Amino acid sequence: MIISGPVLPIPNANVDTDQIIPAKHLTTIDDSGMGEYCFTGMTNGRKMLDEHPGAVVWVAGENVGCGSSREHAAWALLGVGIKAVVSPSFARIFHENCYTNGLVPVIVDAELIPRFAAAKTITIDVENETVQADDDAPIAFKLDPARKPFVLGGGFLKYLNSKIPAIRAWEAKRAS
Amino acid sequence: MKKSLFDKIWESHVVEELPGGSALIFVDLVVAHEITSPQGIIAIERDFEDKLYDPNKIVSLIDHVAPAKDTATAIQAQTLRAWAKRQKIRFHDIGDNGICHVIIPEKGYVTPGMVIACGDSHTGTLGAFGTFALGVGSTAQGGAMLAQVLVLQRPKVMKIEITGELASDVTAKDLILTIIKTIGFKGGTGYALEYTGSAISKLSMDGRMTVCNMAIEAGATAGLIAPDEKTAAYLAETTLKPTNWTSLQPDPDAEYDRTVTIDGATVRPVVTWGTNPGENSSIDGTVPADAHPESLQYMGLTVGTAMKSIEIDQCFIGSCTNSRISDLRAAAEVLKGQKVVVPTIITPGSVGVKRQAEREGLHDIFQDAGALWTHSSCGPCLGMSVGVIAPGTRVVSSTNRNFQGRMGDGGRVHLASPQVVAASAVMGRIASPSDVPAAREKVNA
Repeated sequence: MIISGPVLPIPNANVDTDQIIPAKHLTTIDDSGMGEYCFTGMTNGRKMLDEHPGAVVWVAGENVGCGSSREHAAWALLGVGIKAVVSPSFARIFHENCYTNGLVPVIVDAELIPRFAAAKTITIDVENETVQADDDAPIAFKLDPARKPFVLGGGFLKYLNSKIPAIRAWEAKRAS
Repeated sequence: MKKSLFDKIWESHVVEELPGGSALIFVDLVVAHEITSPQGIIAIERDFEDKLYDPNKIVSLIDHVAPAKDTATAIQAQTLRAWAKRQKIRFHDIGDNGICHVIIPEKGYVTPGMVIACGDSHTGTLGAFGTFALGVGSTAQGGAMLAQVLVLQRPKVMKIEITGELASDVTAKDLILTIIKTIGFKGGTGYALEYTGSAISKLSMDGRMTVCNMAIEAGATAGLIAPDEKTAAYLAETTLKPTNWTSLQPDPDAEYDRTVTIDGATVRPVVTWGTNPGENSSIDGTVPADAHPESLQYMGLTVGTAMKSIEIDQCFIGSCTNSRISDLRAAAEVLKGQKVVVPTIITPGSVGVKRQAEREGLHDIFQDAGALWTHSSCGPCLGMSVGVIAPGTRVVSSTNRNFQGRMGDGGRVHLASPQVVAASAVMGRIASPSDVPAAREKVNA
């Protein structure tokens, strides 16, 4: 799987999920329609989005997605066409939500962020775990091997469902 | 290797080790509220014949918007209500509900050694009972209801030892805000925080919940405290009175990935000045010289401003951090015989807390002081219902997040303990309880 396209450069540190999607929009029972409100909790967030039409990679600062567990943040980003987030560090829950939704989390050294933020195009080879700014040499990054399949092909709940017999056996053993 | 409390809980819940340091971790209890659960419920109904691993391992409730404020939130509540009924899941509907992290321990659903998951980042609160409790996304919560496991990276373990004693004017809220400032807003990322030391032992269970509640505000996966006689005494007073647990302790010389020690005597009452909880100063101090300019611009503050000179527009006491009976008692002690000079909302953490407060007459103290005494919900803390603030409004709040726009678009939030919020409500500026003139003097004046 190759993700390639324009960049949304918002490399501010500590962009919390309230900034990505304010709580007043968490009133649905499904995961649709969140793109409309993406970044509306951030000063100038919507403006940045409008100034970068067609962006597919968000270049973010450290501790991206901190705060609330709301998966709506991942849905909002996907809803505006973002397919990957490049950052020096992810908050834990947002990181997990990226994996389960196929929003590719790309961790790179902090000193590389200015270069990625300045890129016109970022290309990510998800299978081979490389990320490339414009025509620069590709840089290796690491995906969690346990979750990589969900980024590539979804199926998180299907995978857990397949584990149920083993989980029941484990639980029966624990009880005995 | 000698084990931490966290190690013991983790290792007793590993169903399967996965590559890269992850594991399938068995979940003893899933807590489901109306905002983040419907998506998982609908996915399971659609794709997995509506089958849950074990409905008896789920507790559901309405907490964020209670009662519903509009059609959309009514549909959220309706979805949860109908599902709980058809799946025979324990359900706390409006009238018998509360903020999940308040009502779950209050009812006695929590016992030491459990793993607990909820689609809510403040689930770590329940770590106060010696559990590994954590917030997860809606899909992960759905997975935990479908298959009773989480896919988790094993966190490292940080021992946070608070030695000595806290001063009499210092609260659990001041302690956790100080811990977050010490290790940094993301200093806990990738860690479970294991709190220990004499100052932690001396905290009430309510105080311990406050300290565990905000572990996420340092980025931590969870916060936890080993159970002791206070834990046992608390659980004995709950509705369910759980007895099926044994004392679970870290090994005496357990090894930790990192140890942070704070002398409890050095902790002072604090208030935040910035836009994350680590950006705080002593209430007697000033906005520091190294404050982030972007935070100051948002908050409308300048370096060197004395915290106590900051005038405010509104006050709020509530949230999963500080809405328990001891929080309300502390606020009432300050508000007794006083009048608030800014709009002040006081929201108990659960119906149980509300009724207890009313038995003690605290609601009269609050209402005599001119504060609004509401029913229980998460509402104002996240700008969702019952008290959203307007742009530019400056609020002193007993909640957990001072993020941009958290309590309402453009709103400015200063986090503090309930007693500091109460004192500030009386003074119209950030204030300590000791700044409030004695009620009798005020009447005579």
